[in-house]
Amino acid sequence: MYGWHLKILRVNLTTRKVTTEDVDPKIARDYLGGRGWAIHYMYKEMDPAVDPLSPENMLIFATGPLTATPAPTGNRYMVVTKSPLTGALAHSNSGGEFPTWMKRTGFDLFIFEGKASEPVYVLVNEDQIEVRSAAHVWGKDTHETTDILKGETSAEARVACIGPAGENLALMAAIMNDKHRAAARSGVGAVMGSKNLKAVVAMGNKNPPLHDPEAMRSISVETSKNVGADVKKGSNMRIYGTSYVPQVTNTLGILPTRNFLQGTFEHVHNVDGDALKNQYLIRHTPCYRCPLSCGRLTEVPDGPYKGKGEGPEYETISSLGTGCGVSNLAALVKANYLCNEYGMDTITTGMTIAVAMEMYEKGYISEDVVGMPLKFGDHDAMIEMIKLMAYNKGFGKDLAQGSYRLAEKYGHPELAVTTRKQEFPGYDPRGSQGMGLLYATSNKGASHMEGDVAYEEVFGVPVKENPLTTEGKPELVKHFEDSFALMDSSGVCVFVGIRYMFNKDRMILPKILSEMMNLATGAGYTSEEAMQAADRVYTLERMFLIKAGSGPEWDVLPYRMLNEPLPDGPAKGRVVELDKMLPEFYEKRGWDEKGYPTQKKLMELGLPLN
Amino acid sequence: MMIRVKMIANYRDALPAGHKHGVIELDVPDGATVFDAVSRFDIPLNDESVIVLNGLTVDLNTPLQEGDTVTAFSAIAGG
Ligand code: SF4
Repeated sequence: MYGWHLKILRVNLTTRKVTTEDVDPKIARDYLGGRGWAIHYMYKEMDPAVDPLSPENMLIFATGPLTATPAPTGNRYMVVTKSPLTGALAHSNSGGEFPTWMKRTGFDLFIFEGKASEPVYVLVNEDQIEVRSAAHVWGKDTHETTDILKGETSAEARVACIGPAGENLALMAAIMNDKHRAAARSGVGAVMGSKNLKAVVAMGNKNPPLHDPEAMRSISVETSKNVGADVKKGSNMRIYGTSYVPQVTNTLGILPTRNFLQGTFEHVHNVDGDALKNQYLIRHTPCYRCPLSCGRLTEVPDGPYKGKGEGPEYETISSLGTGCGVSNLAALVKANYLCNEYGMDTITTGMTIAVAMEMYEKGYISEDVVGMPLKFGDHDAMIEMIKLMAYNKGFGKDLAQGSYRLAEKYGHPELAVTTRKQEFPGYDPRGSQGMGLLYATSNKGASHMEGDVAYEEVFGVPVKENPLTTEGKPELVKHFEDSFALMDSSGVCVFVGIRYMFNKDRMILPKILSEMMNLATGAGYTSEEAMQAADRVYTLERMFLIKAGSGPEWDVLPYRMLNEPLPDGPAKGRVVELDKMLPEFYEKRGWDEKGYPTQKKLMELGLPLN
Repeated sequence: MMIRVKMIANYRDALPAGHKHGVIELDVPDGATVFDAVSRFDIPLNDESVIVLNGLTVDLNTPLQEGDTVTAFSAIAGG
């Protein structure tokens, strides 16, 4: 077989036993790779009801068939596990270089099981696989850890690791790779911390053999050129990265502001792409083999927020920035650096602080509880909260549990803007109805990366949909969920991958993507078969959720989204009309009216019937 | 009548110098449409652009009213 190595590395951290195994080619084809393979193994081997922070939880690093191939943006991996934040699935995506280096070890998947008796890291250099002590890096941030581990292994190695937040089991802990890239969401870093696994170090020269290397090269050059044309025209992603987006969402009135009390931010110009570019941008930074290069190296050269790193991305601006009412860009950039260094998801971190700010302003928590005043817009308090969360100190103990548990503890669950206990990203669904349906049904709780219909509702890609209507959204959401499951399983980045998903008439069908997968693997997918495999992946994940206790009863939206109309902007007066969309969505997915996949659907997809 | 045109990010290059945060005031004749307003600028008027009126998705033939804001940006996957 090609594209895939068809090899899994399994490390039992309790016994320190390392085994390798082959993947059945039929399973490989049916579940695509990456995220798809991971759920196959988790569903088969693990009781979905386990405590996510117990040794019984599996932690899977999963590359796809296009990772480490010439396919532009074939640089991704997924971290898949049961989430301690949501109790549902976590599948968090990251790029940079580590995923390519991981695939070059000769394995597609690393599966970590059990729990080490003391802090360890795992080195994988092709056949040299070692579980080593991490005592000397425990307690260190992600940047120091990366430098130390590269220093003692090889400058050629790449590192994925947790920082203090993961060690301290903060439920918003991320796994950082190459210092600045994050498999961020759903507390994957806490699972790693619970296993006493500080880091994974990968290197090797085993590029996957390709089914048709020549054709693969030409299609890659061709697609790269297409992206390149956009760069010449001055594409926003190339110039600003995602930081141009606040102006877009502010215009549409869906920019999360002060914990979703508003949909527009009066100081948006202080925290948008132009402000960042003019004040702190040093240069663009690409993930491996990406023609778009949307990352940005930035520096705050002096003052109290002095620092250097990458970002912030839009999602950080809309959470730690506008979400908290913060308009001080230097402080926001610093907060982003800290999250990367401590290893934290900026969305959940920011929106949890935002909830605490609203609770403080409403008098539901006092200065005594917090240890300081905590008003919207207080950027210094925001930074202080991040530190307390990462180190699980003082009020940080409450914050480190995420906003759902925080609001519940203090008797105001209506203030938490979450689904499946995970914080919303930067699109207020009251003005983006399809996103509302997506958040309510997503297999990993609220996330744009589960099927970003904002591409159509907000960005006009591939076509512009009216964000305020509900008509047609159930089908659109299903389609995007499957499309994202396909991209996540293949190993490409969605920013560019979405271009591989539609044709000249802007019909979404993965024509180029399935062709690339065929040239890599020889699996001979038709576009329809690739989409059906993605549907299989999505549906199996839903089965996992049902068994994990995060089934249809969690397909709901938080109080604010259903009962408090947006007070300002173009979507003024609106709430999410979920009940208009949910029944049709279930039907489109082949689920019954209660939200359970029908036996017919399971049979059609070749999935286990129970 | 006076309306406002707002260009986001790279589309600001299509505006004459002196705009504030990508916004300019524009005097258009009565009966002018969204299309009339944006076609004065060098931006693609096809599905490569997203053009909204007061933040709302509308037909480009929609007539403008005094005080309206037309906003345009490049259609691209982001966020
Ligand atoms: S588009 Fe951005 S995030 Fe995606 S691979 Fe390229 S640089 Fe990385």
